[in-house]
Amino acid sequence: MAELRKRGLVTAVICSTPFMKLGATQARTFGTPDLALIEIPHPLGGLDLESVKGRAGVAVPQIVAMMKKLLE
Amino acid sequence: MTNLAELLKVPGASIEAEDDFDAVNALVNQRGWGDGLPVVPPTASRVAAMLAFCDRAADEPVAKVAPRYGEATPLRLAANAVMAGCRPEYFPLYLLAIEAMCEEPMNLYGVQATTHPCAPLVIVNGPVAAELGINCGHNAFGPGAHANATIGRAIRLALLNIGGATPGLADMATMGAPSKYSYVVAENETASPWEPLHVERGVPAGASAVTVIGAECPHNVNDHESISAEGILTTIAGTMAITGANDVFYVGAQPVVVMGPEHAKTVASGGMSKADVKRFLRDHAHLPLGKFSKENIERRFRVAFEDSYADAGPDTPVYAFQRAEDLLIVVVGGAGKHSAYIPTFGATRAVTRALKLRDGSYARSVKDFKR
Repeated sequence: MAELRKRGLVTAVICSTPFMKLGATQARTFGTPDLALIEIPHPLGGLDLESVKGRAGVAVPQIVAMMKKLLE
Repeated sequence: MTNLAELLKVPGASIEAEDDFDAVNALVNQRGWGDGLPVVPPTASRVAAMLAFCDRAADEPVAKVAPRYGEATPLRLAANAVMAGCRPEYFPLYLLAIEAMCEEPMNLYGVQATTHPCAPLVIVNGPVAAELGINCGHNAFGPGAHANATIGRAIRLALLNIGGATPGLADMATMGAPSKYSYVVAENETASPWEPLHVERGVPAGASAVTVIGAECPHNVNDHESISAEGILTTIAGTMAITGANDVFYVGAQPVVVMGPEHAKTVASGGMSKADVKRFLRDHAHLPLGKFSKENIERRFRVAFEDSYADAGPDTPVYAFQRAEDLLIVVVGGAGKHSAYIPTFGATRAVTRALKLRDGSYARSVKDFKR
């Protein structure tokens, strides 16, 4: 994702809450500290389909907000 | 060699501390530099002694250690080796193991950051193992041997302090494993009826090497009754056939079978080569699809492995690993009717590296590195 970001593509990484710090650290490590991180509740694995849709419902507004910000 | 005293003047390269064991350890704990155990203070003189067994410049980049991709240099590695309690003569093998595990196929990033409880397993072959006293016999995976304990600990400290694998921040192992403290063993080559692992993997006999892979802890295989190759291998295959191992889901997985010398002797006396053993275990280490949970069948096997399991019935075999040639077999241990199965992270491949001097020649002894 960092590589895609460096190439100028609109890029985001979805992390469940316990992985947000790892995501932020890795974004800095790979030279893209501004890489957007989309936070969703943990876990993502072991969910039924409705719960997965619920996670998407949390992620999508953040993605939209991120893209709007880019257009400003 | 770059002057050590000059290197230590570089901002951040060293730190002033009270000349007191407890004070240094308090500082290490405060900075989060350790593994929780007391460390040997890495004074300049101890680091210099460690570097006496290194044929490279102290500030030469050796590898980038994931997930931080911190630069491992002999100087940084030496500091961690001192902290771990290593003797200076261990340094060449320690550096070699770090280089090997930072090679792309090992996938150190995944091994370090995953929720899975894996750690780089280091298997040492060749004359250097005996020279350094690396235990390959009784209790080889356990405590008691200084070289196993401290080289493995030095690796962990490098993974923490250079690689940045801080638990809960970058090492996301759900519960981790005791092998994350130290995980170094030598193959018991003299008790093995087969060619040693490094020779099988292309290193000349007489040379020394390390083989690394991201692995779980060993699971015992107890068989006191079988007196035939088929009997021993049937018990091992049965132990390998489990529902919760990552290797089931990765085509290139390379799980490890550690054979106790007595089991190995029984198997080999039946005329089986290592390749024969691998084929037997590939063909017999399986369990029926119906042993997996309904959700794993519907959501994983039928989707990710559609070609084999889209319509498969509950009796369809699921293999512990996919390709016979991928299985790693080593002989370790002393007397007793035990072997072990070591599942892996799955998304990791074994890397073997020979111990070589700067000029590319094979080292016959760690003394070859002495300045």
